[in-house]
Amino acid sequence: MTDKADRNQGDGDEKRIVKGLGFVGIAADANTVEVDVKNGKIIRINPLHYDRKYQPEEFNPWKIEARGKAFEPSMKSLIPPLSLGYKNRVYSPNRILYPLKRVDWNPEGNRNTENRGKSGYVRISWDEASEIIVSELKRIKQTYGMEAVFSQSDGHAETKTVHAAHGCHRKLLRLLGGFTLQTRNTDSWEGWVWGAKHVWGMENLGQMVPVTNVVQDMSENTDLILFWGCDPETTPWGWSGQLASRACYWFTELGIESIYICPDLNYGAAVHADKWIPIRPNTDAALQLAIAYVWITENLYDKSYITTHAVGFDKFKEYVMGKEEGTPKTPEWAAVITGVPARTIKALARKWASKRTTIAHGNGGPFIRGPYSTEPARLEVLLLAMQGLGKPGRHQVKMIEWSIYQHHHRNPWPRPLFIPQLQAADRGWKYDDTPRQFIPKCLVHDAILNPPISWWGTTTLSRDPVEKQFVKSTYPVEGCPEIHMIWTDSPCLVTCWNDGNSILKAYRHPKIEFILAQHPWLENDCTFADIILPSNTKFETEDIGVDIFSGQFDAIFPEPKCIEPRGESKSDYEVVCTIAEKLGLLEEYTGGKSVEEWIKHGFDTSGAADHISYEKLKEKGYWMVPTDPNWKTHAPGMREFVNDPEKHPLNTPSGKIEFYSERLAKHFPDDKERPPVPHWVPHGESHQESLSHPRAEKYPLLVCSNHPKWRVHAQHDDMTWLREIPTCKVKGPDGYFYEPLWIHPSDADKRAIRSGDVVMIFNERGTVLAGARVSERIMPGTVYIDHGARYDPIVPAEIDRGGAINTICPHHVISKHATGQVASGFLVEVARANLEELMKKFSDAFKRPYSEAAGLCFERVLDKGERE
Amino acid sequence: MKALVIDISKCNGCHNCQIACKDEHVGNDWTPYAKPQPIIGQFWNKVTDITRGTVPKVKVAYVHSICQHCDEAPCITACPQKAIYRRKDGIVIIDPEKCAGNRNCNDACPYEGVIYFNRDLNISQKCTFCAHLLDKGWKEPRCVDVCPTGALTFGDENDLGDLLSKAEPLLPESGTKPRVFYIGLPKRFIAGALYDPEKDECIQGAKVTVTDNETGEKRATLSDDFGDFWIDGLRVSTFSLRIEKEGRPAQEIQSVRTDRDVNLGDIELPRGP
Repeated sequence: MTDKADRNQGDGDEKRIVKGLGFVGIAADANTVEVDVKNGKIIRINPLHYDRKYQPEEFNPWKIEARGKAFEPSMKSLIPPLSLGYKNRVYSPNRILYPLKRVDWNPEGNRNTENRGKSGYVRISWDEASEIIVSELKRIKQTYGMEAVFSQSDGHAETKTVHAAHGCHRKLLRLLGGFTLQTRNTDSWEGWVWGAKHVWGMENLGQMVPVTNVVQDMSENTDLILFWGCDPETTPWGWSGQLASRACYWFTELGIESIYICPDLNYGAAVHADKWIPIRPNTDAALQLAIAYVWITENLYDKSYITTHAVGFDKFKEYVMGKEEGTPKTPEWAAVITGVPARTIKALARKWASKRTTIAHGNGGPFIRGPYSTEPARLEVLLLAMQGLGKPGRHQVKMIEWSIYQHHHRNPWPRPLFIPQLQAADRGWKYDDTPRQFIPKCLVHDAILNPPISWWGTTTLSRDPVEKQFVKSTYPVEGCPEIHMIWTDSPCLVTCWNDGNSILKAYRHPKIEFILAQHPWLENDCTFADIILPSNTKFETEDIGVDIFSGQFDAIFPEPKCIEPRGESKSDYEVVCTIAEKLGLLEEYTGGKSVEEWIKHGFDTSGAADHISYEKLKEKGYWMVPTDPNWKTHAPGMREFVNDPEKHPLNTPSGKIEFYSERLAKHFPDDKERPPVPHWVPHGESHQESLSHPRAEKYPLLVCSNHPKWRVHAQHDDMTWLREIPTCKVKGPDGYFYEPLWIHPSDADKRAIRSGDVVMIFNERGTVLAGARVSERIMPGTVYIDHGARYDPIVPAEIDRGGAINTICPHHVISKHATGQVASGFLVEVARANLEELMKKFSDAFKRPYSEAAGLCFERVLDKGERE
Repeated sequence: MKALVIDISKCNGCHNCQIACKDEHVGNDWTPYAKPQPIIGQFWNKVTDITRGTVPKVKVAYVHSICQHCDEAPCITACPQKAIYRRKDGIVIIDPEKCAGNRNCNDACPYEGVIYFNRDLNISQKCTFCAHLLDKGWKEPRCVDVCPTGALTFGDENDLGDLLSKAEPLLPESGTKPRVFYIGLPKRFIAGALYDPEKDECIQGAKVTVTDNETGEKRATLSDDFGDFWIDGLRVSTFSLRIEKEGRPAQEIQSVRTDRDVNLGDIELPRGP
C-alpha cells in the first residue's frame, strides 16, 4: 500500500536515497532500502517500495499458480532487521574514527609481536600511517620479495562495488610485484564441494544446478519438504531478505508438509515445522544410512531410476547391509548414534518414499562445518536419487543465494529478463586472481606456526573444478618467501574460522613483522593489528549497486552519499588510494578513472544501459528489471537429466549419479574418512568429536553452531536494538551482554545452571563464556551457540568473554584430503562460571570500558595515556 | 477511525516491527507527537517469544505488546495534567510538552508494559501509531510498513471488516475498547506420540479425544504416520484423554492440566490379547 504523493520527497530538505543493504560483500546484493536523510543525518531506513516510481506493469510482476492458489512477490523489498536497524552500525561507539598504531610496535626497533592482543593503541595521523606502511612495504619487498605480504581480503561485509569492502589492496600489491593470497575455503558449501561433487558433479558448489523454476515445480508437485539443517528464517536474511519466510508460509498454505531435521528448534522450525526431528549434531550420516536400509529391505526405492540414472549402487547396498564390516545400518543402530528413535526413522523413511519429497537447505547443518561433512552431503544425494531425483516435486532447493555467480540457473524463482552485473566497476577482489602462492583460510595458523605445509586442492571460493581436488598444493611455494606481513580488510578469523585460538597464536609469531588492518569497527582480529586504518560504511560514500539475490525482482540503483564520513574514515577503496598515492602509483591503481567514472562504467556494462539512460536512472533513483515473459518455459531443475541422462549427462566420470566414486577409489583408495562409498565416520585420524570417543568422558556435550540469527557471521554484533532481544544476548548479573548458549533443562539441572547464569564452555583448546538460556528448543546432550560473536579476551588465545565459540572448535580440516573447516558438532563441557573469582583474577579484563548499548567500544583498545 | 490487526499465525518473529519503531523514534524528535525514545530500554512495539511444549513437541509463538489506543482509555482520565488525548482517528497521544511525569497513566493502563517512563526527559512515552507520518500522508505506521509477511494490517476499521471478524481484543473485560486486535493468540495444546512397544512402530490413525472437564467440550484428532497427535487451541483447564485404536485396548489419561502446553511424550499402545 503505497502513497505515492507524500513519500516522494518527505519533508522539505529531507532526501531519500536508495542503497543496497545486504551483507554478502561482493558487487551484488539484496535488501534494497531507501534511506531518509536530513541535515547530514540518517533519519530512517525503509524498505524500497518498487512501485513508488514505476507502475507494476513496467516490471512485469510474476505469479506462481498451483493447486488453485497463487503466490506473488511483494511490492516492497523484504528487508531483515539487520538492514532496518543499520543506523546502529553507522553511529556505533565502536567505529574507528582515526588511524591507530599499537603503542609498543616500533618498525624501527622492537616490534613486540608477543603483545599483540594485549597492548593498547595510540592515535596517529593519516600521513604518519601511510608513511610507515609505505616504508614497511618497501622493506618487505627488498628483504623478502612481495610474496611475503599476505592478503586477507575475502568473506562477507557490506556490499559495495567501487568502494569494495574486500580486496581493494590486491591490485596495488600486484603493481608492487605480487602477494600471497588467503584463499577462502568453501565454508558455506564444504561437504557439497568436497563430497557431493563426487556423486553428481554440479560445478561449482556441489549443490543442485539447475534449480530453474523449482519453486513453481514444488508448488505444483511437492508433498513433503525436509528442512535438513536449514533455517529459512535466519540464514537468508543477509543474502536474500525475507522472501524465504514468505515461501515457507506459501508451502504450508498449499498443504505441503514441512519436517525439520536439526538439533535445535531453529527459527524456521519454530513457526513452520509440522514436525521437528531432533538429531545429535553431525550424526546425520547414520540417519541417512538407516533410511537407505529401510528402503532397501522394504523395497521402497525407485529401482528403475537407479538402473538408468546411477552407477555403483551395489557397492553402496553392500555397505548399508553390513557386508563390509558386519554392521547393518539398521534404524536401531542409527538410533543409538543419532538420538532419533528407531520407530521415527522407520516412519520417516516410509513417508519419504511415499511422498514427492524435496530437501531444502540454507547452507547449514552437518553438510558444512561438521567433521567429515563430505559424508552426509554425499549421502543426501544418494537418498534423493533413490527416490527419483529431478522427477516432479523431487529436488534439492536452497533458500538462499539465488542467482549466485550471476546465473539464471541458480535461481529457483521466476527469472528476470537479465541479471544486471557490476563486476567491471568492482575495485575489489576478482574471482580469477589467485597468485602462485596462496594459503587456504583454514590452514593459516599451520602455515605460520608450522611451515612447510601441504594440502589437497587449489580452490579459491570453489571456482576450481572438482579435478583440482586431486592436486596437492604446498606452502611455501618453491622460490617464494614465507609471509612476514599481513594486510587484512576482513579481520574476523578469530571468530569465524577454525580454531581461533591458534590463529591468535600465529598472529603473535615474531616472523609476522607487521599486521595492517583496515575496517570500520574496532573488533575481532583488529585488536591484533599493529596499524589500524579507519574505513567506513556505504552511507558515507557514493557508489552503485544491484539487487539480484532477493528472488522477487532484480534492480539497479545509483547510490549517492548519505552522510559525511565519520571522523577521518575513508572507504576501503580510498584507504588503498591513499597508500597508492604515497607510493606514486595512484594513476595506475585507479586506472585513471575517478569514482564517478567507475560508477558510470559499472552502469554502462551492467546490461541496464539498453533499457534506461543514466540520467533517467539517477532521476528515478532505481530501475526494476522486468520479469522474463518466458520464465515458465524453462524445464524445472534436473528434469532434462531425468528425461534423457545420456543427452544431458552430469559432470561425473560416468555422467550419472555415482554411488561409488571410481575417481576417489583411484586417487585415495585407503581413505577411511572419505571412502569411495559414503560412510558413517564417528571419529578417525582427523577428528575425535563423537560421543563414542573417550574424549566424551571429559567433554560429554556436543556443540551445535550455525549461521547466527542476529548477525551475518561477524557483522552486526554491536547493533544496540538487536542486543536488546533476549535470543540475541543474555544480560549477565555483571551487566555484560553475553552470547546466548541454549541448554536443555535436563543438562542445566545436572550442572546447577539457570537461565541468565554466566557459563563456561570449554575443552582442551580453551574456554568461552556465554549466557545460559535454558530451553526446550535444544535437545538433551547438545548445546547451541551461534558463531561470530565479537572476541573479548580475558586471556588472549585462552579465555574469551565475548562468546566466540570458534576459538575452541576443531583445528583440523574436514578430513585428510578435504581442505575445509570444521566449526560445529564438536565436544565440550559446560559449567557455571564463578564470576567473582574470574573478576578478581582478571580484573583488568573485566574493567574495560563497556557500552551498555553496543557492547565493546572503541575506548577499550586505547593505550591508557590516550584515554586521559 | 484507525485499527491495527496483528495476525500471530503469520508472525515469523523477525522483530522488524520492534526495530522499525526504534529506528523511527530513537534520536528523532517528533514533538508535538512524541519526543525521542532513549537509546535502549523502551519498546513501543515489543515482540516476545514464547516457547511452547517440550522436546520434541515444541513451537514458538510471538506476541506483541503495543499501546491499544483505547476508545475508553483509562490513561486519559487518570492524567492530572490532561496531557493525554484521543484524536478523531482514534489515535491516543501523550502530549510530550504537557506531560509532567506523574506516571498515573502507567498505573492506570491495564495492558502490561506499553507505557514507558523516560527518566531523562521526565515524561511517559508510548506508541503513537506514527501519527506524525500518517499526517504527512503515510498510509501506515513504520511497524506495519516493514512487516514482511502481512502479519500486521493497519487502516480504517471500516475497511478491515474481514480481518476484524476473525480477531479478538486483549482484556475485553477491562472495558477499555482497544483498537488493536489479534488473530491466533496462543492458547494451549496437548500433544503426544503413540507407538507399539512390541514392534517398535509408530501407530497411525488412532483416535485421540480430549474432553475439557470444566465445560464438557470434546475435540478429536487422528494420530499421523509418526504416531503424533497435536490438539491446539485449548483453554487453560483440566482435560481427560481417550486413545482408541482397533485391536488395542483403549487408554485413558486423566487430569491433564494445561497451565502450560502439554507434551505427554511417547505413549505405549500395545495390542490386546
